[in-house]
Amino acid sequence: MSATELNATIALSALLLLIGFAGLILRRNPLIALMGIELMLNASNLAFIAFARWWGNTVGHIFAFLVITVAAAEASIALAIVVVVFHARLQTDLDDVSGLKG
Amino acid sequence: MIQLFGLSESASLLMLAWLLPLVGALVLWTFGPWLRAFGAWVGTLMTAGSCVAICMLIPTAMSLHGGRASAGLLFSLVTWLPGMELGLWLDRLSLLWALVITGVGALIHLYSIGYLAGDRAIARFFSYLNLFIFAMLTLVLSDNFIGLLIGWGLVGLASFLLIGYWFDRPSAVLASQKAFIINVVGDIGIMVAVFLLFTHLGTVSYLETFARVPSLDPTTLFLICLALFVGCAAKSAQVPLHTWLPDAMEGPTPVSALIHAATMVTAGVYLIARCAPLWDASLAARELVGVIGALTALTGAILGIGQWDIKRILAYSTMSQIGYMILGVGVGAYSAGVFHFLMHAFFKAALFLTAGLIIHALADEQDVRRMGGLGRRLPFPAVAMTLGTLAICGIFPFSGFFSKDAILYGVLSQGHRYLYGIALVTAGITAYYMFRMLFMVFAGSYRGDVAPEDVGITPLVALPGHHHAEESSHDAHHVHQHAHHQHHAPAWLMQLPVALLLVPTVFAGFLAVGGDASLWARYVAPLFHTPIAATESIPLGETTSSILVLLCSLVGIGTAYLRYATPDAQRFAITRLKYESMLMPAALREAFWFDAMIDRAIVRPTRWLGDVIDRWVEPVVIGGMVHEAAFSARWLGHLFRSLQTGFVRAYAFLLACGLAIWAAYYATLGGVR
Amino acid sequence: MIIGFVLLAAILIGSALFVVTSSRPVHGIVALLLNFIALAVFYVHLNAEFLAVTQILVYSGAILVLFVFVIALLSSGVDRLHLTVDRLARLPIPSIALLAALFGLFLWALMGHRFLEPSFHAMAVGGTPAGIADAFGSVGSFGTALFTAHVLPFEVTALILVVAIVGVVALTNEESRR
Repeated sequence: MSATELNATIALSALLLLIGFAGLILRRNPLIALMGIELMLNASNLAFIAFARWWGNTVGHIFAFLVITVAAAEASIALAIVVVVFHARLQTDLDDVSGLKG
Repeated sequence: MIQLFGLSESASLLMLAWLLPLVGALVLWTFGPWLRAFGAWVGTLMTAGSCVAICMLIPTAMSLHGGRASAGLLFSLVTWLPGMELGLWLDRLSLLWALVITGVGALIHLYSIGYLAGDRAIARFFSYLNLFIFAMLTLVLSDNFIGLLIGWGLVGLASFLLIGYWFDRPSAVLASQKAFIINVVGDIGIMVAVFLLFTHLGTVSYLETFARVPSLDPTTLFLICLALFVGCAAKSAQVPLHTWLPDAMEGPTPVSALIHAATMVTAGVYLIARCAPLWDASLAARELVGVIGALTALTGAILGIGQWDIKRILAYSTMSQIGYMILGVGVGAYSAGVFHFLMHAFFKAALFLTAGLIIHALADEQDVRRMGGLGRRLPFPAVAMTLGTLAICGIFPFSGFFSKDAILYGVLSQGHRYLYGIALVTAGITAYYMFRMLFMVFAGSYRGDVAPEDVGITPLVALPGHHHAEESSHDAHHVHQHAHHQHHAPAWLMQLPVALLLVPTVFAGFLAVGGDASLWARYVAPLFHTPIAATESIPLGETTSSILVLLCSLVGIGTAYLRYATPDAQRFAITRLKYESMLMPAALREAFWFDAMIDRAIVRPTRWLGDVIDRWVEPVVIGGMVHEAAFSARWLGHLFRSLQTGFVRAYAFLLACGLAIWAAYYATLGGVR
Repeated sequence: MIIGFVLLAAILIGSALFVVTSSRPVHGIVALLLNFIALAVFYVHLNAEFLAVTQILVYSGAILVLFVFVIALLSSGVDRLHLTVDRLARLPIPSIALLAALFGLFLWALMGHRFLEPSFHAMAVGGTPAGIADAFGSVGSFGTALFTAHVLPFEVTALILVVAIVGVVALTNEESRR
């Protein structure tokens, strides 16, 4: 793996991260926002694995594995919350849940 | 014989003399409520003990008459800072003052036991008196300017406490405040002088300072002397800082006798005498001192003409006599000025205490217009007051004659003709108003309200219906005390001190008989060099001058007799006095408007400043700052609160912002290796 | 090699964009699936076979299915991407500015840095064909590392999963909500 390829991979990971972040911020639908989160997590996985390949160290793989596991747990909880909060609404709007307003 | 803590005998005696009154003050202050009347005796004993200790030091102090440094006993107490070694210094000058303070003081303590008998807070009074004695001793026994300053301030405090002793009387409270504030002005003067001295000479001890005086440039020296004199003027009631002294008569009569006649007001004279080397080096300043002394003497005498309150008459006479002392030391006749201090202490204390006897006998009447004809009913006060008045007018052979003459001749021999003229005229006026007082009190027939049989020498129980408590009964509180507590203070308590004081009043003048070989001259010889005679010839001889002064006094006495003591005058006394009250010139009535001027120039601007601060600085600046602090705290809170929008997307955005900051730091400065 | 990389990158970016801009969540799910599969291919290219398979199994197989179920529950309707002034009026513009800045920062950081030379071992790894046990990225090497050096995180993740299960049950339990 050459340095250029590593650079490109990292750049790609960064771009995916930003796209996911844009989706999280700019969309009002809670499910699409969660998809943005998944995109971000995958972007970080990509970076881990790229560096693991660069250094020849399995730690990166381990960490990526952990990220996947935690992402699974997080996704389930987040979806449970979405279900509970938005149950049986026609239009699910993230901006409606502003109960934490100080 | 007496040795404390391993000190030498003389050191022990000195410390004893100095500290006994302090011990008395503390004991009486702490245990006063339980000691009550016994406390008065405790206080008196402390002062008497101090006097005894000083007397025991006389032989030691008199034996020292070498050069400057060995002219006295020095006891180092403490080194406060480098260049500031504080200690006590007993030479002939401080010995003289200490003797007067403790001796006359002890007598007045004894007198006060009788005068204030039955007063519930008498222990407090004696604790203040003892504090005063201690403070005054600190003032005169110090060997440095710092100790002087400490004593100076403390006597001001004691004066404040004692004038306002009957603090439930508003006039007394105001008078005590006035005295204290004017004294503070003087304190500032002394402080400025001490600062200048220390800055330029690097020392505060007297001996060192006087040795280094030649190294000062004239302007600085003049300023120092001027500043010192501001202090002297305030403490010794010289024009224009004299306005507190007449009002200070609100205090009990023993206070007036001790503090405002014999001792505290002479502190200025002591300072000038002590710092003679300073004044001798700055003749311009000393001239100024002399001029002000003369002016004060004249002003005091003129104002004394128009007073009705017996104590105020004596207050103005004190002011005038101290003016004489200041005049004496101002022209360089230190010996004469200090001698007059000694004589004045005796006869003025006697006069005041006698006035106290009269006031007591008449149930706190102080207005001379309501006295008269008391010569027969009060024989002892009559004799005492007559002797004292003769002394103050400088009639041969009483004490005042010698001292006043010495001052006047000293003024003349230094070439100050105008000052001599002023002093001469003042002597005449002094005789006039003092004899006016004498005649109004003792001659003719009684013009007052107290029933004849109640006029007695013992302190009187006030009878109901005799409360003319308006402008004359200044001891109105005292009247209440009388009414509630029947006290039987033996008469001797008050008469003995007066009698004892009358002896030197009459005879002390003979200390100065014999010119340069007299006892007095030999006593002060090591202290002051005789003033250098002026170059031009002196117009009058000493005897001629004395006769001239005597003539002026006789003129004054004669005028007073004609106005107040002739049978004609007596017959129409009441009407005449009423006319006199109405026709009093405004200048006299308003005491030359000194109080009014001070009010306009100082009091009102200060009040205005206080008002401005209260209405503007306080709410806007200070209140504003506090309010701003609170407001900005709340504003900050609001700012952070606005972050809590409750919108999830906004929260996510903020998280991302935080991450961005961290990433930016890590990418640029964090050292990505 | 280059073409492969470019193609994969294009698919990844394209599908990601489609996820973010989709008007219906179901469309987004499909695009996300495409994204995950492309990523798995990428992982294989990077000698991480085990993870590639894990990615497909867990991410695409479990998480996405969970999403589908929830979409079915919620019947979310249609929701377009609004970049106009919406209720959080101040959000889109700063967000886009932030994104642009971040991306610029990443690029700048990348271009400015020289990554250190890879280790000796990695050079040798590049040529090893996949499928041999204990080779880099294989199940064997992964398992060895996981159960020896990193067993603690492994246990912790187990705990996290238990917490997640309990949490979900607690959240959706109808009785506790009353």
